[in-house]
Amino acid sequence: MMNQRPPRFNAHLLQGQSKIPIEAQYASRFSLLIRFFNGFPSDQAAEFNKIVFQQNGDKIEMGPCEYIVEPHDQHFQGRLVFNQAVYDLNSLFFKDKLEKLQGEFSNLPLILAHKSKIKAAFKEFTANLTYDLTIYKNIFDSLDARFADEPAPIKHKVQTAIIETEGRKFMRFLDQKLDEFENLIINYSRKDHERHGFYLRKQLWHFLMCAPFMARTNLKPRGYSGDSVMMKMLYDNRYEGDSTFARLMHKHPNEHPAAQAVRNRRQLISEMLGHLKSGRPPSSGNKLRVLSVACGPAFELQDVLTSAEDCAKFHFTLLDQDKSALSEAASLLARLEKKYGAEVEVDLLNESVRTMLTTPKLDTMWGKFDYIYSMGLFDYLTPPVAKAVLTKLFQILRPGGEMVIGNFHISNPSRFYMEYWLDWVLYYRTEQEFIDLLKNVTSAESRVLFEDTGSQMFLHVRNTER
Amino acid sequence: MKKSIEFNIKPDWDEIEKVRNESAEFLQSHDLSDDTIHSLSMIISELIENGIKYGDFKMVADKVVVVINLERNTVTIEVFNPVDESALKHLSRLDRTIQWIRGYQDPFEAYINRIKEVSQKPLQDNESGIGLVRIAYEGNALLDFFVGDNNLLNVSVVSNLDGDDRNPS
Ligand SMILES: C[S@@+](CC[C@H](N)C(=O)[O-])C[C@H]1O[C@@H](n2cnc3c(N)ncnc32)[C@H](O)[C@@H]1O
Repeated sequence: MMNQRPPRFNAHLLQGQSKIPIEAQYASRFSLLIRFFNGFPSDQAAEFNKIVFQQNGDKIEMGPCEYIVEPHDQHFQGRLVFNQAVYDLNSLFFKDKLEKLQGEFSNLPLILAHKSKIKAAFKEFTANLTYDLTIYKNIFDSLDARFADEPAPIKHKVQTAIIETEGRKFMRFLDQKLDEFENLIINYSRKDHERHGFYLRKQLWHFLMCAPFMARTNLKPRGYSGDSVMMKMLYDNRYEGDSTFARLMHKHPNEHPAAQAVRNRRQLISEMLGHLKSGRPPSSGNKLRVLSVACGPAFELQDVLTSAEDCAKFHFTLLDQDKSALSEAASLLARLEKKYGAEVEVDLLNESVRTMLTTPKLDTMWGKFDYIYSMGLFDYLTPPVAKAVLTKLFQILRPGGEMVIGNFHISNPSRFYMEYWLDWVLYYRTEQEFIDLLKNVTSAESRVLFEDTGSQMFLHVRNTER
Repeated sequence: MKKSIEFNIKPDWDEIEKVRNESAEFLQSHDLSDDTIHSLSMIISELIENGIKYGDFKMVADKVVVVINLERNTVTIEVFNPVDESALKHLSRLDRTIQWIRGYQDPFEAYINRIKEVSQKPLQDNESGIGLVRIAYEGNALLDFFVGDNNLLNVSVVSNLDGDDRNPS
């Protein structure tokens, strides 16, 4: 954004009845540089009712405002700042939105009132939890301060010692609190869950924000949960964060069953692809054609491609809605190609499954596949969409081909931890609901498998056509 | 008793009221509470309105199709209409909006954010999407969509029925 030339334009200032022509230029988020045209005294401060100008065909009026003398450069004479409603000039000039800084307060009554529907027991639980977390944080922070000046390797050793001792005890404390919390909300309706989750996150906000994983799942900088950065954190399962407390808060959800299930499913896919490459020969003497739908950064490929021969066996088609995820997958493949001195055939498709079906004749465009898998996608698709996508995927599975689709099971023990703390909501299914997604497709032979934690299911489908 | 009902309507604003009334009768016959029927009707109107607005109805046979399906714990409402290539940009935005709304555990959060944005008046009206947020927040329903064969757009909501969504028997 800041690479663009700052917008410069003509405007006028209103002061009582007079209209003073000026030249103005965007200077900072909350100020403009200005120059008076008609000899208006530029060496003393002045106040104006408003500034008026045209932008993209709209008449913009903002004020009241104040002139501050600032012999800035050869051209401009000073700055204009707003002294009541404070307008965000970044929004105005770069997003075409007229926003006041105070706009943040516009929903205040609604948000404050939201707490009136929170149950007393939940408020008490949250207050106690906040107290306990504050105490823990204070202690961990004060320990951090005491070893802050140590040389890096020593600091690391000391922090590890603290994590392994009191840190692990703190993690058990969190487990206990989560048990209490689950008992409290077990009979809540969906609406109750939503409201109480909102309340909990507001109360715990600062604790959540210090943990990189929790901050990201809550803030969703790419607009959705489960982006490639979150996935990497899940796969790495390390202590990450700026302080000992932050590292513990980051690690805790990464050790929960749902996170383990994500790591398990990666292994499962790697094993299945490994099996495929050593098993039956590919359909037409060519490469094994594999499609990963919602591939993300496709980390599993580094488990599958472990030699030049492996690289030669596959043709991958990787589909994701997110360009950044696809380019991460591409760089991973480039690294593997370099490592093994071999080329990997790959097509990258930047599409959403919701709109991919508009691609005419998907099978002639993309070809048919020996193996299709999709992990971490169906958890976001409601039944009408899941059915349509699955049916379409089945149509591009060659006879004898197999498809494996992941979906968290309704009994996911991390469900409420994810929903309330991480603001991460999935569409859960039972085995039957999962199987039923393909019930109208006669040549599909389906069964449901689970990984070790039991929280994630896989719909395994074979195309029985010959 | 029939568990589902289907309407085939012309892309005409006057048809909305008719579908609203008939679907309300259908939902009443299944003992859904007045509040629930009220919010489902809001959803139905909103979806049909969008269907008419963004649909591509070149042929006389091009209709808006509404299917309401009632199961023990869920109601699913699906609205189908044809779209042309020009709708694709709108659909990518719809995709992002839906993921954004559903990214919040509490749709209230999407609601207050969107209200804030609307109150800030974007200079170019880039479709507030407030209707979709209301579906999620007031209608307590999960929105989703896909484009199927023949460029038929399907926008759907799935709404869970809790105990108080039905009249006491
Ligand atoms: C939870 S991640 C899973 C990534 C990868 N499959 C894995 O298991 O590591 C979800 C991925 O789905 C992608 N995704 C979500 N909705 C999608 C859609 N409608 N179409 C295509 N990709 C989608 C996201 O961009 C993200 O990369």
